[in-house]
Amino acid sequence: MEQQTRDELLKLFKSKLNQAMTFYLETCSRCGLCTTACHVHESMPQIKYIAAYRAEIVRRIYKKYFKPQGKIWPKLGESKELDEMALEELYEAAYSCTGCRRCVMFCPHGIDTQMLMSIAKLLLIGAKAEPEILTLLADTSVEKGKSLDLFKDGFMAGIKRLEDDVVKKWKIEAGQTPIPIGVEGADVLYVALAGAHSIIPAAAVFNAAGIHWTLSFFEAVNFGAFVGDPTKTKLILDRIINEAIQLKVKRVCICECGTAFRVMKQMSGKQPFDVISLTEEHARYIRDGRIKLDKSTVTGTVTYHDPCQIARNAGVIDEPRYILKHLTDKYVEMSPEPAYNFCCGGGGGLVSLGEETLDFRMKSSKVKAEQIRKSGATILATACENCHTQLSNLNDHYKLGVEVKFLSSMIADALVRE
Amino acid sequence: MEALYYIILVPMVYVAFAIFIFGVGFRLLKLYQQPKHPIALNIFPEKKPGWLWALHDAFLFPTVRRHNFVLWIFLIIFHAGLLLLIIGHLELIKKFSIFQIIPHNVFIGKGFVGLALCFALLFFLFRRFVSPNRDLSVFEDYFLLILLFLTVLFGSQMDWARTWYEYGELTVPDYRAYLMSLLVFKPELPYEVTASGHSFMLVLHVFFANLFLMFFPFSKIMHSFFTIPMNKLRRG
Repeated sequence: MEQQTRDELLKLFKSKLNQAMTFYLETCSRCGLCTTACHVHESMPQIKYIAAYRAEIVRRIYKKYFKPQGKIWPKLGESKELDEMALEELYEAAYSCTGCRRCVMFCPHGIDTQMLMSIAKLLLIGAKAEPEILTLLADTSVEKGKSLDLFKDGFMAGIKRLEDDVVKKWKIEAGQTPIPIGVEGADVLYVALAGAHSIIPAAAVFNAAGIHWTLSFFEAVNFGAFVGDPTKTKLILDRIINEAIQLKVKRVCICECGTAFRVMKQMSGKQPFDVISLTEEHARYIRDGRIKLDKSTVTGTVTYHDPCQIARNAGVIDEPRYILKHLTDKYVEMSPEPAYNFCCGGGGGLVSLGEETLDFRMKSSKVKAEQIRKSGATILATACENCHTQLSNLNDHYKLGVEVKFLSSMIADALVRE
Repeated sequence: MEALYYIILVPMVYVAFAIFIFGVGFRLLKLYQQPKHPIALNIFPEKKPGWLWALHDAFLFPTVRRHNFVLWIFLIIFHAGLLLLIIGHLELIKKFSIFQIIPHNVFIGKGFVGLALCFALLFFLFRRFVSPNRDLSVFEDYFLLILLFLTVLFGSQMDWARTWYEYGELTVPDYRAYLMSLLVFKPELPYEVTASGHSFMLVLHVFFANLFLMFFPFSKIMHSFFTIPMNKLRRG
């Protein structure tokens, strides 16, 4: 690696340093407690899949270039040069970590491996060694934000085609728009994904609850966050923030997408609107008596997979259970404690990489498959797009025989008029 | 030999404490000059108040208790023992009536604190010889454990000699004379401190302790300062 490239990469490394990151880089006592934390390690017990080992790959470069010991006594902490080999290791570490933060629950100091992996991801971007697809997807999102007019007509036409399906799920009064777009002063701006399954059920529930809502022009998913590019993450996020401000909405409701929700909730800063997940929004409708659900639509035992970025990392834990209580009498927990739930194995951009990561995703999530099987459920509900895809893949691969469902679509199917 | 004893027992102690205090101060100052992390990093479900739970996590290691009970027992023995040793050393400088609420002979613990610590340190060391901890460990981990073990072993031997074998040459008043003189910057080495049969143990103990202190600010031992704010990040 040329010195100039290395200097540029180290500049990127430095840009990630703040109080929390320095704590995480300085503190690991390598006690090994996190060994059993990672689902990847639990499915494929290899040293390289231990959270502390992953973190140490980043930490060794930190020791080499940012600590005096790297210059005076490099052997002490086994500090390591940033070269092509190191980049390969960084890739393996960063893209075998789904950023689920289960290891944070194990570490006596609370070291956040996802944060340390964000350094690895940024270095990979700097070295143009990141998964290209993720950058392409992020760029497309950014581009859409810049030149919305180019996309607008196509988008409107596409949405129009979904309207009949929305009405099929919930009849609305004549003159009412099934999927309102660009409505100023709406109570809710719903940010969906680019897919009918993310729009139709949600729209039906909004209409059933009699909510003054409007659909966002943008898709919620933040590929910038997946690839670990802070600039693009912010640009993708800002598109939605600007739209919400422009439309003067009261709250921004993020569809069933873990990353999108966590990024929006935690990174949007102080804004004139609230950020809420679709699951929380739906729980609120049930609580307020705005919608009624028919339990007979759900047959079979139901379990719920807590998406890491929505539950452990953003606190939406009670709401899905509250909703499920109104959908079924046969609910079983998957993990004794939601905070300790195993990741589905598809986070951190792995599902977005599709076939390329399928083999790894299946092997690394053996424990998840066992957890699902052990629950004895026949319906596996979740509230995250990535989890849904990954869990469906697991269902096929391990022949689990469950039906993987979005919570929102279970609600939409169970809507009843009083 | 006398000159070597003097260097270790006087100037090196000052240098070690200077490096320790300024090193830690400098590290903390530099760290807190850095910007805060822009987003919340806490884990859910939350328990309030976060600061209290952070203290709970930092002092009682509940995650270790949950996932590795044997390690937790040794960690508690080690850290609680460390606290008692600090109290013991303070009492070797002067009398503190507050520590004598429960009357005891100096050194506190009748020699068993040091013994327990030796065992705990050996446990920490030996568990690193076994995979996967072996693969996670770096030289620093072994170095620090061995350094601490030697410090505790030689320190404890002096205590054991007095407590268990009625060794009477190097007594608490001798230590107090030596340590107090260091504290008021008028260093003195009483005859008993350098000339008794067990002086070499004291010298070795102080030597390893000095090394440890000098190493402290630049090593993972900084977790003693970092773990509370880190647990606060997790608790929110």
